Amino acid sequence: MAIIPKPITPNIGERPGAPGSPSDGEWAFVGSDLAIGYGRPALFENLSFEIRRGEILGIVGPNGSGKTTLLRTILGLLKPVAGRVARWPGLNISYVPQRDRIDAIVPVTALEVVTMGMTARADAFDRIRAADRRAASQAMELLGIEALGGRLFRNLSAGQKQRVLLAKALAASPDVLVLDEPTSGMDIASEAAILDFLRALNTEQHVTVAIVTHMLPIVLNLATTIMLVSPRGIVHGAAGEVLQEERLTAVYGVPVHLGQVAGQMTLVVGDKDGGDV
Amino acid sequence: MFDSTFMRLALVASVATGASLGILGVYLVMRRVVFLGLVLANVATLGAAVAEAIGWSPEAVSLAAAVAAAAILGEVGASNRVSAESLMGWAYAAASSATVLILSRVAGGGSHTMDLLYGNVLAVPASHVVGLTVLAAAVVTAQIIFMPRFVLVTFDPESAQIAGVKTRRWSLVLNLSIGVAASAAVHEIGALSTFALLSLPPTAALLLMGGIRSAFAMSAAIGVTVPAVALMLSFQFDLPSGPACVALLALVGTAAFIARAGRS
Repeated sequence: MAIIPKPITPNIGERPGAPGSPSDGEWAFVGSDLAIGYGRPALFENLSFEIRRGEILGIVGPNGSGKTTLLRTILGLLKPVAGRVARWPGLNISYVPQRDRIDAIVPVTALEVVTMGMTARADAFDRIRAADRRAASQAMELLGIEALGGRLFRNLSAGQKQRVLLAKALAASPDVLVLDEPTSGMDIASEAAILDFLRALNTEQHVTVAIVTHMLPIVLNLATTIMLVSPRGIVHGAAGEVLQEERLTAVYGVPVHLGQVAGQMTLVVGDKDGGDV
Repeated sequence: MFDSTFMRLALVASVATGASLGILGVYLVMRRVVFLGLVLANVATLGAAVAEAIGWSPEAVSLAAAVAAAAILGEVGASNRVSAESLMGWAYAAASSATVLILSRVAGGGSHTMDLLYGNVLAVPASHVVGLTVLAAAVVTAQIIFMPRFVLVTFDPESAQIAGVKTRRWSLVLNLSIGVAASAAVHEIGALSTFALLSLPPTAALLLMGGIRSAFAMSAAIGVTVPAVALMLSFQFDLPSGPACVALLALVGTAAFIARAGRS
């Protein structure tokens, strides 16, 4: 029996902006003459782009196209082969990694994981205070996982782990939230709830959101801008301009058709006449 | 049994090293670099052997060698061709064989080899006991203050780095702490016991305990209790204290595995 998650409404209280944090429309990241990869030859070269505050950016493309490499370079986890990525000074960035990048050997509870979001922002000598624990609990309530606080992270289901990692990121009151495959392992109801949550976080709290996903349908109705990554290169622009049938068909190598169902953009793969792909 | 000064000094030295290594070893196990502990213990031993051969202070050279190895090997990551553990294996084999070769050329090196490998805690001088106790106090204090930071960079270093935490620096601090503790321990309890205390109490604790704080507490408790018991048993039954401690730790580890298997 599928458990419908309770609706989640982002209201994480006062979010004092980082000193000098950019307002909507200004840049959060700027890439200049970037070459990215793991040495020569680079995966991509001569990349220049701006990621603007207030966007919901979808980084999409086929498996193995370089999405995660691009993301890790933007975030500073991977040194560019050439060029540079500038980040607005003082920008508060929270990252939700893929679940399998977290080593389950560390015996921490879900609440302890969420509290780490604040540990990262605090000074090394600061103690975790009751206020921090309350903020962590609040973040967990937003995502409907407050009952998991005392359970070990490694014993949670895939979807629960993903929500805990998201709560950890939110507990830090970010200006920018970056998510790598955030809905993997989730059922469609949970996925829809998360996507609605991210949309509300962006519109109501002005959090810039960047999502890396290989699941194109996730960004169809969510992203305002798209980076479409493929062996041919990277196309970056407004979602409506980048997500065109011809371009997607060329990138994915299968016929891709876009349409509308119940007011939502949807995607179908295959021949229009119902033939096999 | 503890009427004599040398036994009391041996007891304090055992408890102090057990506390330090028991706490620090939890990070080695959680970071899946247990053999870094083995390498550091043997590099410290190699440092002492080199010092013996050239007439320098064994403690100073041992410490320098262990700290350098901790800094370098802590940066070693897995490549596509070989694992980090295989590089540790290479370092261990090189260090331990070099130690034996060097000491084979030193007058009286044979007995010293045994002491470095298996320890001679019964001969620990009072000044060393003071040093070990101060070190244990420093490790416990650092653990109380910085545990959230150390656990953060162990659990999710990438998110921490993106949030602005200097994860490499904190990892280096951890590795250097382990290098210092291993170097100090090797001179009194030997390389074998040092590695055993860095690996077996944490393993047993992580098997038995369901939380991070309790795991640290249990590992420290095992690290403190087992060497003390081994010391008493070795006195009672005229056994070498180092191997007795390791054997007892291995028994505790076995019991932990069995207890864990029984719960599953």
